[in-house]
Parts: sequence; structure tokens; C-alpha cells
Amino acid sequence: MQKSLIFSVFALLLGLIACDQSDPNPPEEVGDLVQYPYEPKAYTIKKPDHYPAVPVPADNPMTYDGVQLGRRLFYDPMLSANNTMSCASCHLPAKSFTDGKQFSTGIDGIQGKRSSMSLMNIAYIVPDNPADTFLLFWDGRTKSLESQALLPVEDPIEMHHQWINVIEDFKNHPDYPVLFRKAFGIADRSQITKELAAKAMAQFERILIGSGTSVYDRYLNGEISLLQDEALDGKLMFFDEGNPFGLPDGECFHCHGTGTLSGRGFFNNGLDPFDLIVDKGRENVTGNPNDRGKFRATTLMNIELSAPYMHDGRFSNLNQVVDHYLFDAHPTPYANPNLNLLINKRQIYTSYHRTALVEFLKTLTDTAFINNPDIQSPF
Amino acid sequence: MRYIKFLFALSTLFFFAACDKHHEDGETTELTITFKALYDGQPLEKNKLYDYSTYKVEFSQFNTYLSDIKLLKGTAETLVSEIEWVNFTPDFATDNKAVDVTIKATVPSDHYTGIKMGYGVKPSLNAKRPSDFAAGHPLNKEVEFWPGWKSYIFNKIEGQGDSDNDGTPDIFMLFHCGSDKVYREYSFEKEIHVHDATSSVAVEFDLKNLFYTNNTWWDMTASGNQATSNLATDVRVAQVLMDNFDEATTLK
Repeated sequence: MQKSLIFSVFALLLGLIACDQSDPNPPEEVGDLVQYPYEPKAYTIKKPDHYPAVPVPADNPMTYDGVQLGRRLFYDPMLSANNTMSCASCHLPAKSFTDGKQFSTGIDGIQGKRSSMSLMNIAYIVPDNPADTFLLFWDGRTKSLESQALLPVEDPIEMHHQWINVIEDFKNHPDYPVLFRKAFGIADRSQITKELAAKAMAQFERILIGSGTSVYDRYLNGEISLLQDEALDGKLMFFDEGNPFGLPDGECFHCHGTGTLSGRGFFNNGLDPFDLIVDKGRENVTGNPNDRGKFRATTLMNIELSAPYMHDGRFSNLNQVVDHYLFDAHPTPYANPNLNLLINKRQIYTSYHRTALVEFLKTLTDTAFINNPDIQSPF
Repeated sequence: MRYIKFLFALSTLFFFAACDKHHEDGETTELTITFKALYDGQPLEKNKLYDYSTYKVEFSQFNTYLSDIKLLKGTAETLVSEIEWVNFTPDFATDNKAVDVTIKATVPSDHYTGIKMGYGVKPSLNAKRPSDFAAGHPLNKEVEFWPGWKSYIFNKIEGQGDSDNDGTPDIFMLFHCGSDKVYREYSFEKEIHVHDATSSVAVEFDLKNLFYTNNTWWDMTASGNQATSNLATDVRVAQVLMDNFDEATTLK
């Protein structure tokens, strides 16, 4: 009897201890999310008629729930190690998804060496062919929005977190498991992965398309009287169409494209003498010394809102930017010939030409885009 | 004997039926066409100094649109591709060598006698804009369209040169051809046997032959010769280049 009593007390104690040491991560039940509906509804990206179709990869089709999950992840600071920093910390809608700083600062107070890039119209930055696969970031070190979205979380000078921990947080979160289920049809929370998170964020980033209501957009759509005086002259110079009106070519559009003005190529734009280039840019990706100092030409849409400028944020206003191209750029052996041509004829430019180009650039301001409720923080 | 005659007749019928079937069913084979960029017979390299007249030039970019690539058999034409954008100097490259660009097409097995190609974007497609095409389509590329011309940029050949050989570039080559006026079609004769999946043909564009014709160099130092005009009405330089593509193209 005494033995039985001791045994019972011991068993009870064991039981209590077991209760105290309950597993903080309860075993994930297979199929614990199937009770929630998975009814993917295709998301149609809104874009102006004069913009090209938005490329969407076959393995990440756009869905309403995918975009909503991506939007939430984009604005959620739980992606950073100390819950203080989200993607939106460096990509603010009001600044056309830049942060207004020369260099962005990570959670540990460490500054990066490059300025935050605009994400407007980023969906158009896709490779042409398999040999041409790396385009995103200033130096084009990743090939897709899906692969790009994975990097800042673990970057020690950005969010300085670990995806394995982020995923655990998602699994134990009151909302995210169901949101992942709705977006991707996973059966249980164990199927949440960083790749799915990246897919969702990529879906959200693909909807960051201009509204088509900037003055320049409206001009393209037939309201030609909207461009007048300096802005019109600047437009003619930008697109090398001003010769009949006595305006010199600005040679701008060669690198900044048309329509969305989202140039995708990499260029050394003569910021520094070739021998003094510190940030090698594209060369660090390709290993090709001819790519030294090359960086991707960004979209010029909303350029007025996305100061400072250049990869190192060295210019605080558009006058400085245009002055650089018209008057100050350094000749460089591997520059686009258009730049060297510009340098070679710089004596023909005047302050009026600078003013004209700047006034044209201001017509690219798209406030409807930055105020679009679909792309604001859900929190 | 009667059976033998019958069997012979039957087998003959089968033989011809088989022959007919071969043509009627249109047996098809995959053909590989490889486009290559050269200078003076050697693979083109970006930023390599090439002898040019009495001075040196280097190239940094070469891409081109090709329309209606067709296999020829006598006067018969078999469409291989309606439009291709061939970029020999892609953004991502670990070295300066121009890349070969390969397209594959399934075509009727046959013995062809040549290839015909349109250089640039044919007028029916050139009347459209990038926004008219789905993402990934060769004509969806904004940076290959110039509203000023209301035309695709048929090809881009860019580079620079050093006319006085002092080490400092003073020639800036910016040849961007466009507009319907400079669209060209050329045919090239070559026996092309398309019989199995190894069937292939190489199309080579030699930039030297684009600028050196009839024993004469295109004078890069002459005013107005370093670039195509911005004006859609002025196609003088573009016409010369597009005319020379005939001589600059070789089938191998």
C-alpha cells in the first residue's frame, strides 16, 4: 500500500512536471488548415492602357489572396530580428517606394552603401532571355522579385533576421497560417516556407504600377496642351526630338526607355573618374571589369518624389542630376556611347536646357500612384 | 503466281501510299538556327579594338529584330518565325564575348534551298506598340520602341572609335535603324537538310562587312556618319546599313 502511494505520488509529480514543461511549439497537425477555404481568385493587375502587359511568371500566378498576403508581409516588421523594420521602412509609398535617405539604415544602426531603389513599375524588370537573367537591385544581383524578396531579411545591415525564425513566427501567428492557406492552398502550417512568403511579396510588388495619370501620361493619351514651355522643350530634348525647334538632344531616353520610363540596362553614367570608382556595382556580379561602376537605370516615373538620386544618393535634387549629365559627367571607357557623346558636346548646353529637362521630369509625378489605397499599409 | 502478283501489287501500293503519307502528313523535324555576331570573320567581342580603315573602333552593343524568317525550297516558303529579337550583347555576361542566339522551330522535314529574312520589324507589326503585346513577346520591349519615329528600333549597333589613334575616343557610334522605309528582306541560298533533331544552320552577321563594302570603309569621321538621324524623315545612314546587311550576312 505504501509502495502504491509512493508510486502514485511520483506519477502525479511526473505528470505535473510534464504539464509545466509543455512544448512551446506544439506538434503541427497534418491538415490543420484545411477547414479554411482555399478559393484562389485571379488578380488582374491594373495598368494604364499605354503601359505594356505586366509580366507574371507561370509559377507564381497573381491571386487576390496572394497579393493581400504579400502586402501584409511587405509592411510587417516581424520580418526583422527586433520587430522594428519592414520592407516598407526603406520603401515608403509617399516617396514612391524609396526612403528619402542617401543610405538606408538597418536594424543595428548600420548604414548600407547604396540608396533605396524605387519599386514603382518594378514588375517590368524581367530578363529577356536565359542568358540575361540578373536584373534586380542596383547591380542586378538577383533575377526575379521572388528571389530578391528573400535577401533583405537575412542581410546583417538590413533586417538581420533568420528566415527559419521568421517562418516559426508565422506558424505560431494567429493570422498568418490561414493567410498562407488562402494564398497558396497549403494544408497545414508546416508547409509555410520562405519561398511562399517571397512569392506573396513578389505578387504585391507586381501591382506597384503607375496610375497613368501623371501630366506626361495624360499628354501621351492626347492631352497635348498639358506640356507647355520648358516642360515641352524638356520632353523634346529627353527624346532627342528637339532638333527642328533648335533644341539639342538630351540623349536621355536611350537609357530610360519609353512609356514607363523604366530602363532596365546597366550603365556607367560617369559619376566618378573610372580609376577612382569605389563601388564597382555590376562588376561585382558579372566579374567583368568592363562593368565597373555600372548600375541599373531606374524608372523616372515619380522621380521628383524619390530624392536623393543615383546609387549612392549623392544628388539631393533634380537640378544636380541634370547638371551632372549636361555639364559634369566624367568620360569613361565603358560608358554607353550616348554618355560620351553627351560629354563631347557639352558646350552646347545651357542652364535653360537644364531647366527644361527638370521641368519635364516633374511632369512624371504620379500622385495617384502613391495614394493608391491598394498599396498602402494594411496595419 | 497469281498470289505473288497480287502481293507485289499490294506492296507497291503500300510503298506509294507510304510515300504519299510522308508528304501529306507533313513529317516534321526540329530545326536549330544559331545567330552569330562576328567582326572580320571572328566572334565579336565587346570593347575590343578592331582595325577599321586607318584607325580603331570597338563595339558595345549589337542587337537586331528579324521578321518572317522563312526556309526556302525553290519559290516555296516555310515560315520558321514571325519575329525574333536577337541580342548578341546581353546585360548579363561574365566576359566580353558576344553570345550566340539560338532559336528552335519544328518544320516539315525536307531539303531546303535557303533562308529568307526580314531585317527589322515588318510593317504590319511595326504599326503596333509594345503595349499591344503580351509580356515576354519580342515586341513587348519598351526600350526597343521609339515614339519619335513611331517605330521599333530595328537594330542597335553602338560603340566608339579613336580616329586619331591618341587613345581617347572621339567617334561615338550610335546606329539605331528604324521605320518602315528601312525595312529590308534578303534571301540566301544554302542547302539545308532538315531530317532529324540535329538539323541546324548558322546565320552569321559580320559587322565589318556592314561597314566595309566595295572595298570602301564607311567613313566614321565624316559629319553625320557616326549615328543614325533622330528624324524619321532622315534615313540616309539607316538605309546604307540596312542595305549592307545583305553582304554582312552569311549562312553556314
